Amino acid sequence: MLSSFNTHSAFIKCKTTLVIQVSGLCLFAWLCQWAAHSVHSIIPGSVIGLGVLLLLLSCHWIPEKVVNQGSAWLIGDLLLFFIPPVVAITKYKLILESYGAELIVCMLLASASVLLGTAFIVDKLFKFERKQRLNSITAQRLQLRTTLLNI
Amino acid sequence: MNGSLLGALCLLLTLAGYYFSKRLYLRRQRVWFAPIIMAPTIILLTVVIFQIPLADYFQFTHWLPALLAPATIAFAVPIYRERALIKRYPLTISVGVLAGLCLGVGSSWLILHFTHMPSELSKSLIVRSVSTPFAIEATSAFGGIPELTAMLVLVTGIMGMLICDPLFKAANIKSSLARGISLGASAHGAGAAKANQIGREEGVIASLTMIFTGIAMVITAPLFALLF
Repeated sequence: MLSSFNTHSAFIKCKTTLVIQVSGLCLFAWLCQWAAHSVHSIIPGSVIGLGVLLLLLSCHWIPEKVVNQGSAWLIGDLLLFFIPPVVAITKYKLILESYGAELIVCMLLASASVLLGTAFIVDKLFKFERKQRLNSITAQRLQLRTTLLNI
Repeated sequence: MNGSLLGALCLLLTLAGYYFSKRLYLRRQRVWFAPIIMAPTIILLTVVIFQIPLADYFQFTHWLPALLAPATIAFAVPIYRERALIKRYPLTISVGVLAGLCLGVGSSWLILHFTHMPSELSKSLIVRSVSTPFAIEATSAFGGIPELTAMLVLVTGIMGMLICDPLFKAANIKSSLARGISLGASAHGAGAAKANQIGREEGVIASLTMIFTGIAMVITAPLFALLF
């Protein structure tokens, strides 16, 4: 009985923390958007907020646990937040019906080229960096051996 | 039916559809049950079949997209947590982000110039390879429409998830960094989820790349917009 009460209260405590953290992040986002709007910033308030929060975390001015749960929920359920805009495409039904096939083919080709192009560049760079590191290690060993032989 | 009752039902439908597909995907890991495919399909079909007016649908659901701004800010936490990984591969990550960004915008530029799609559609395509909160912020710089952008971002994510395996095999891409970075840069959230299935390092690197590409897109959008 007591243990079920404990799990129950732990559950409530966990949910309350989540709600408080999410509300805090919302308030912070609203403040950043307001600030960005009032100085006519080109960079949107949410990205400025991201930078500010990262700075606050890096300087240990706010501990990670203060935003941990809230940020995990916001990022984890990101898809939920853009379902309403997706539903709004019913407004553009006519355009999508007439250009749908063309759109799908173009997007497939474009996505494949971005995926392959990026993977190819990173793969080459990664191999180059690894080779450089190996070369420097071999050079160090050679130098060490010559020094040891000279002694 | 009473407008606000219908509105409340729509909110319930959106929440239930989303959490139901999330639960189902946790139990049966089939790609068709993935929340990114199943949840929008269920909800969109219900709205179309029952011919629910958009004004009623948005009456209570309009606060959901408002959470995209705090979600963008929340991305600071994974960046902070994975700072060690970023310090280990600074060059590879930044070149990967830059390559993904340029290829994404470049491929859209080609589509815009060589097809005859209406401009609001092709302009909404430009930011398709970055995560939704960033894409919606950046699309106005190019003259895109946020709703179309949200849909195109979603479709891009699904495509990236489905085509990555055969492409990696064909091009013989084996390093975890190349797989993670390219998935994050081309297919954002869905790509990061797919990368997580490949391996832990791939997943983390894909999420980081997704965030950095999104930030870079938002910051460079006014510059790129001069090209279009």
